[in-house]
Amino acid sequence: MAEVVLENICKTYGNNFHAIDQLNLSVEDGEFLILVGPSGCGKSTALRMIAGLEDVTSGSLRIGGVDVVDMPPKDRDIAMVFQSYALYPHMTVFENIGFSMRLAGKSKAERKKRVDEIAKTLQLTSLLDSKPANLSGGQRQRVAMGRAMVREPAAFLMDEPLSNLDAKLRVQMRAEITSLQKQLGVTTIYVTHDQTEAMTMGDRVAVLKGGVLQQVDTPKRLYESPVNAFVAGFIGSPSMNLFEATLTGDELMSGALAIRLQDAAFVRRPGLRSYAGRKVVFGIRPEDLYDSSLESGRKYQTIPAKVTSIEELGSEQIVHLNIDAVRVDSGDPDAVQDFGLASNAVAKFEPVSTVRSGSEIRLALDDAKLHFFDPETHLAI
Amino acid sequence: MTRQKRSHHKLKRAVAPYLYLSPSLLIIGLLMLLPMVTVIAYSFQNSAVLRRDPSFAGLKHYQAIFDDPVFWASLWHTLYFTCMSVIFHMTIGMAFALMLNSDRINPTLRNILRVLYILPWLFTAVIIAVIWRLLLEPNGVVNSILMQIGIIGSKVEWFSSPQTALHAVTFANIWAGYPLFMVSLLAGLQGIPKDFYEAADIDGAKAYQKLIFITIPQLMPIIISISLLDFIWTMQVFPLIWITTGGGPIYSTEVLSTYTYKLAFSSYNLSQASASAVVILLISLGLTLFYIRYQKAR
Repeated sequence: MAEVVLENICKTYGNNFHAIDQLNLSVEDGEFLILVGPSGCGKSTALRMIAGLEDVTSGSLRIGGVDVVDMPPKDRDIAMVFQSYALYPHMTVFENIGFSMRLAGKSKAERKKRVDEIAKTLQLTSLLDSKPANLSGGQRQRVAMGRAMVREPAAFLMDEPLSNLDAKLRVQMRAEITSLQKQLGVTTIYVTHDQTEAMTMGDRVAVLKGGVLQQVDTPKRLYESPVNAFVAGFIGSPSMNLFEATLTGDELMSGALAIRLQDAAFVRRPGLRSYAGRKVVFGIRPEDLYDSSLESGRKYQTIPAKVTSIEELGSEQIVHLNIDAVRVDSGDPDAVQDFGLASNAVAKFEPVSTVRSGSEIRLALDDAKLHFFDPETHLAI
Repeated sequence: MTRQKRSHHKLKRAVAPYLYLSPSLLIIGLLMLLPMVTVIAYSFQNSAVLRRDPSFAGLKHYQAIFDDPVFWASLWHTLYFTCMSVIFHMTIGMAFALMLNSDRINPTLRNILRVLYILPWLFTAVIIAVIWRLLLEPNGVVNSILMQIGIIGSKVEWFSSPQTALHAVTFANIWAGYPLFMVSLLAGLQGIPKDFYEAADIDGAKAYQKLIFITIPQLMPIIISISLLDFIWTMQVFPLIWITTGGGPIYSTEVLSTYTYKLAFSSYNLSQASASAVVILLISLGLTLFYIRYQKAR
């Protein structure tokens, strides 16, 4: 087990494309860190650099206190689980799990002992003689985990290991990987583009965008105090609603819309006063918007909105709305899909809500949950 | 009426596949099956083709060729020629495919090499035979180079000496045939996921271990298929040997195809030639059955 430290790591490709720019990250011994971000943000590149599968252009990379920048992958004492699992189709489960031991020249008896132990932990004992083609997605995933575990590495690196599984199995494997990591206590760096995985699995989450680290924090703090509009939009599903408005006195004004701010909002964010008379970006999560006709929404101030469409999920309703405000793009390419053509806001309503598509409603909002960002820099105020 | 319609539809569905297949079956029957059956019939007749009413000869012609030492020499030469060709086609094809698939070679050089390596495939057997006859002439380029670098002391008559002729034609055939393996294996190599090698790198595999544990097992279906096909094709090679050595000197490059040709068109013993052709057919058939069984097993 070991600490993984990245200092000023840069990765530039031949065409002058900066995949990673000045990445500083410290993963503590035994910690489960999630690297998350939209497609092309450099998260997989960062992981592959830690594994030694990509060269580091500049910066320092230490695993267990040893500088590994110029070390080949095999000497870094890491194990990796690939998105495709990279299981050898011509080998049985036993041979796949024991492959690294075979390469290291370990005897068959030694290999059998260790592989049997791993198989027992992962409930693969009955499948040891099967070939990967005869396994289900979840079983293959476990074999890939077994192959990583067999070497007792200092750190696990996982590159979107659940992305090939169906939604139900993904939830199950999420829990299995988390509990396995806790049980083994091995430093783990896990790459995903799925923010639900990021929020539910990691001790801390590092959010990347365009090769630049945006924020590293616990899932709760990322959700509650995003450092910028990108993190605010990226974390949470559906994404946070972001709008532009003018701060007039203690009111946010946008078109016919007026949202009154409590004094507490200014106390919590002393910088907000300086935006008086100026434009500001405000954000509110879909779960902080309510149907004003229901009990849950009665205590909050309301704004007019038009329902454009509704997604019934049984436990909740995702309501797409149009409000009189200019929506701000958080910079997350995946967030665009949350909004239809006619809508610019999303709310999560209770299943008892009776709002109908096309109706004009009063939308209640919890102003204590508003987030504020600078309109130019998109940094949190 | 409805029942009648239904049975008509059933009949149409049953007959349709045979109708679709009939043109190809007809062509195969006329161009392959009929000549094959005719040759088998000739092999049991006396003075086949030459006489209008040939008499039944039984196994006489088979007895004759099995008693002929030249037949056994031809069979041995065919096996040597075929085995060496297939082994070296595969080895050279694999080496070149690995080279062309390597990231370590400059992409421009790789493209140039790709064209160069595939060149032998562009030539017909006649051209290849002529090229190698010129190159391996006593006064040819090969002798001149080998003498200059001191490998041989005097001119070697590659195609005219019984000691070297079989090796020389085998060499020419190896040169002509490796691109098939190279192209097939290169396609196979490009289909092996990069992840396999990266996972092996992390697990500490050396280059030769990656070759043994990943590359070769992944290419095995291609290696077996192409080797079997190459074996079948090489066994039947005729023009290259006919043009370079004609089966000589003193039968030293006689293979089953040239042996049969000579029986038919030099000695005009078409019955015995047919018996020899049937023997070749049986050997090829054995290999083909093996190939089909392997393909089915996959």
